[in-house]
Amino acid sequence: MPSQIVSLVVNGEHREFIAAPGATLLACLRESLGLTAAKRGCAQGACGSCTVLVDGRPEASCLVAVETVAGGSVRTLEGVATGGDLDEVQSAFVDCFATQCGFCTSGMIMVAEALLDRNPDPSEEDVIEAISGNVCRCTGYRPIVQAVLEAAARRREEAVTR
Amino acid sequence: MVIEAVHVPESVEAVVTRSAAGGLVMGGGTVVMPLVNSGSAGVTELISLRRAGLDGIEVSDGVATIGAAATLTAVAEHPGLAFLRPALRTIASPTLRNQATVGGNLFVAQPYGDLAVCLLALDAACEIAGPAGRRDAPVADVLAAGLAPGEIVVAVRLTPPPPGAWHYHKAMRRRLNSASIVTVAAVVTKATPEDVAGECRIALGGVAPRPVRAPSAERALRGRPLTEESLTEAGQAARADIDPFDDAYASAWYRARVLPVHLRRAFLS
Amino acid sequence: MTYRLAPVDTTAFAAERGGGDLTVIGSVVQRSDARGHVTGRTEFFEDVAPPRLAHLKMHRSARHHARIAAVDLGEALAVPGVLRVLTHADVPNNLYTPLKLIGVGPDDEPILAVDKVRYLGEPICAVVAETEAAALEGAARVKVTYEDLPPVFDVEEALREGAPLVNEYHGQNHFIYEGHHCRRIRFGDVEAAFARADHVLEWRYQSAPIEQAPVETTGCVVIPQADGRLRIHSDTQACFFTLDNTALILETPFNKLRIVGGTVGGGFGGKVDVVVEPIACVAAMATDRPVKFVYDRAEEMQVSSPRAAERLYIKDAVMNDGKIIGRKITLYVDAGAYARHSPYGVTKAAAHLPGPYAIPNVWADCHCVFTNRTPSSAMRGFGVTIADFALESQMDQVARTLGMDPLQLRLLNAYRDGDVKAHRKVAEGTALVEVIQKAAEMSGHELPETYRRMSSTTREGL
Repeated sequence: MPSQIVSLVVNGEHREFIAAPGATLLACLRESLGLTAAKRGCAQGACGSCTVLVDGRPEASCLVAVETVAGGSVRTLEGVATGGDLDEVQSAFVDCFATQCGFCTSGMIMVAEALLDRNPDPSEEDVIEAISGNVCRCTGYRPIVQAVLEAAARRREEAVTR
Repeated sequence: MVIEAVHVPESVEAVVTRSAAGGLVMGGGTVVMPLVNSGSAGVTELISLRRAGLDGIEVSDGVATIGAAATLTAVAEHPGLAFLRPALRTIASPTLRNQATVGGNLFVAQPYGDLAVCLLALDAACEIAGPAGRRDAPVADVLAAGLAPGEIVVAVRLTPPPPGAWHYHKAMRRRLNSASIVTVAAVVTKATPEDVAGECRIALGGVAPRPVRAPSAERALRGRPLTEESLTEAGQAARADIDPFDDAYASAWYRARVLPVHLRRAFLS
Repeated sequence: MTYRLAPVDTTAFAAERGGGDLTVIGSVVQRSDARGHVTGRTEFFEDVAPPRLAHLKMHRSARHHARIAAVDLGEALAVPGVLRVLTHADVPNNLYTPLKLIGVGPDDEPILAVDKVRYLGEPICAVVAETEAAALEGAARVKVTYEDLPPVFDVEEALREGAPLVNEYHGQNHFIYEGHHCRRIRFGDVEAAFARADHVLEWRYQSAPIEQAPVETTGCVVIPQADGRLRIHSDTQACFFTLDNTALILETPFNKLRIVGGTVGGGFGGKVDVVVEPIACVAAMATDRPVKFVYDRAEEMQVSSPRAAERLYIKDAVMNDGKIIGRKITLYVDAGAYARHSPYGVTKAAAHLPGPYAIPNVWADCHCVFTNRTPSSAMRGFGVTIADFALESQMDQVARTLGMDPLQLRLLNAYRDGDVKAHRKVAEGTALVEVIQKAAEMSGHELPETYRRMSSTTREGL
């Protein structure tokens, strides 16, 4: 079977590209669409650095054969900031020193976005479970957990002031 | 081998037709895609269940029917299957549970496949479709003997246990997202007098090449109250039912050694 | 804000602080790279996607130690999409050792194996293909015929008479330091110390190899430029080191190469060996196409160089009052099959002995040993970390044997400013006494007044 034209809604935009058989969603995002925030860390679903939201839920994009999600909606880290403005999760990651080498950051932020979409007031336990599929070798996780809790607090505050 | 086609059939019949022609069936891809990514899948065609209409979950008249392509997240979120939630939370990460499927879990290598251990304890039935039509088989048979060429599991059917009868415990290296050292799933109903065990079905993971029932432990427990003493005895008896292995998580020796502890903890924690 | 600032203690060594203009430490300074990380705009090497990119995958040794009898490339070359299969004959200067840049030799490691493999996973052939899948398939179809040789996996067994010879370029299973069979320390008379000690206490310590496991695996993208130069996008931790070594391997002037790096998705020492760039450059030159060579996770775990396994024997001459008057150490560092950075790591370990203690008699032999295991190399304080584990375990063991408080034992033996260390250096700015006192205070560990009054700048309490 030859390569196919696959269409996806990526960060709210309709995108079409040609995918070779067996190409992963991760490879298509990075190589066909130039969206390189999601990273390949293990190619087996163990590290979480390729995590993106598929129809609103976090998935390891290295395990998704792209044909199987054709027509679906995908959100990546590139779609999180509005223009030049960081969202609450991004700014909390900066302020809480939740990034070091930066390689896990994209996946971490995407699972945090998914968590806060569903649960605006997560406990520390909730955050730890949400990021349990994402490996960070630099920080020891503590600053990341604090950043997600801080982001939740900022988002709740903004909801009140709005 | 290099992948030449990925099929995403939109009906069970189309899946069976494709499958009979060769190709590897995958649910969420959490087992098959790592093989594809490392060039070791050994096939040229993949068949995805994502669009085959197999992701439904129905609970009615005390029977749950779960489509093979239902994700672990979907099972955990279903109000009629709340008893399985704690077990599902011990499997992989929330992200992978959004992808991993109930059917796929039956075919993963130990020490993974904790849901299969649960299904074994629940004495679930598999609904199977194949070139020769449809058939049902106990999950124990599917775990032990697999499927005929071209067959796929389309659903599993189980009876949620009565309140208080479900027990589950998984020992792992980390608190979350780690493979099994010992997994214990059990349905133990109370007989009369009220404090003794009646019907017992105990299934174990992490301690054999596939999920296994522990008939020796079940015998040791039947007719006795669930106490530290009886459970420790049952745990020791269960060593007759296992065939443990060494891996990066634990040695075979360790798994056998701690089995009674974790069997007890499944009931008294 | 929810993060905690570590309090900076400005009371210790107040006299040396000299004024109030040192204000950065203790204040919040945003990381300059954080904004790029949280928006996904930081460019890692693999984010570069040049047109016509070819992919390189390695066929690796399936044996720990074997002669290569034959290599058959026929099936690999027949895989659709395979462009080239590179062997040792394609590498201009196939033999190297990374530390040759600072005068360490001999060259002991082939880029691609020639007639022998010395560890499981050693690179033999590099398959270059249109796609990653085709490169993987090509690499899987290379056929190598081996004649097995006995392997050796234990450092002490490797040093025994009659052990299999791992690396012919060295000629024996240990690295030679300026004519000596190991790095040595000789200070005072350790045997006399044992003879007059109240206690002679000896224990053995050992560690397994430790993989750095960066989330981004080791890799590079090499892009031939119009002017004939090669631009190397790499996640190396050592750009210039990589550039110089690669130039020597390619037998090309240094100015024909350009490294774009500095963004490393986790390194921890695991990305200082020069293991992907040279062969990717050869592939790029051979095909005149951009080439990517990146380890998969299994390669990162199996063949990227870990922290060395080490074994230490520590024997102490100890007096009843807790003073350690002699320490004898034998250290074996498992370099694996090739030297890489281990000769330097062993020197670092030797420089670290006998720990931060004033011990008047010290004897140490530190061996850099070759075995048929994955070559080890740098990782966070290599040479020092495992030595510290052993030395501090030894201090605890000694304290336990003597029934002494482990912190008091350390305070009693801690070096002070002005002490002459085993390497004939005069210790200065030691501060160990104050650090132990502070740690005791912060952890609620009671110390007697005499120990609280000790200082690293005086002999008080000794």
